[in-house]
Amino acid sequence: MPASRPTQILARHLCQLSLVEGRVSADRVAAVLAYLRQHPPRQPVTVLKHYRRLIARQLARHEARVEHAGAIDAAILDAISTTLSRQYRRPITAAAQPNPALIAGLRIRVGDDLYDTSIAGRLAALTTLA
Amino acid sequence: MSAHPLFFAAASGGILSSLWDSVLSLMTQFDIEVPLLLAQMLCFSIVAVLLWRYAFKPVLANMEERQRQIDSGLKYAEATKAELAHTQQESAAVLKQAQLEGSRLIDEARRTAKEFLDQQQKDAAARAGDMIAKAQQAIDSEHKKMLEQARHEVVRLVVQTTEQVLAKELSAEDRARYNAAASREINAG
Repeated sequence: MPASRPTQILARHLCQLSLVEGRVSADRVAAVLAYLRQHPPRQPVTVLKHYRRLIARQLARHEARVEHAGAIDAAILDAISTTLSRQYRRPITAAAQPNPALIAGLRIRVGDDLYDTSIAGRLAALTTLA
Repeated sequence: MSAHPLFFAAASGGILSSLWDSVLSLMTQFDIEVPLLLAQMLCFSIVAVLLWRYAFKPVLANMEERQRQIDSGLKYAEATKAELAHTQQESAAVLKQAQLEGSRLIDEARRTAKEFLDQQQKDAAARAGDMIAKAQQAIDSEHKKMLEQARHEVVRLVVQTTEQVLAKELSAEDRARYNAAASREINAG
């Protein structure tokens, strides 16, 4: 069932309260959850689901999920984080996630954007072009 | 010198008297009696009149009627002959006209048949050309589709083989080196 408009407004307001300098703060999130536990809204589950979706979207805006096959060191992740933060003009943290299906190379997802330099991705692109 | 009229009268009276005497002499010689002769003449006249009135006249009328009928028949025969000749001429003209019309119709029918045949041949040729073009187009399309499928299949097999070979043959160092190169590529932009 889709959330009602007051529920969406409440979840959006709670999400705004969870941000510090545009990034999600764990302390603020804990405080919001404590407040909701003490003062539950009329539809707590719906509000929490919508809040979780908004927080996940905020986290995704500041997180670059780096899928890789083979070893990848911290310097590479830092360089990727620096480059993407400069490109998107907001702080972005790179999080590594192994994916042997890529064979070799990287696949980076920032929000809805995808950067694929993996061998599997290039072979898939070759298949698509053919 | 001219003769006196009394002389001639006397002379003619003498001749007549002698002529009358001769006649009386003949009648006496041939034993002709005048009353009897007159009665015979009267009977002859009566018979002649009766014959004329009741025999000759109807016969003549009948003959005239026959003659008139014969003339009428001859005239009718002449008219019939002329009409027959006219009819024959008309029949000949009609026959000639019919022959001409028939010839014209036959020529027209032949021409129409030839035009129809030519048109049918043209249509058949056009349809055959169209069918050939469509068949060629279908063959080309099928050929192109087959080539496309073959190319897709070849590429799929090459990619699959490449993936299997690379997954099997790449070492950890190769992967790390490739990752570093990919990172540089991303950072470069």
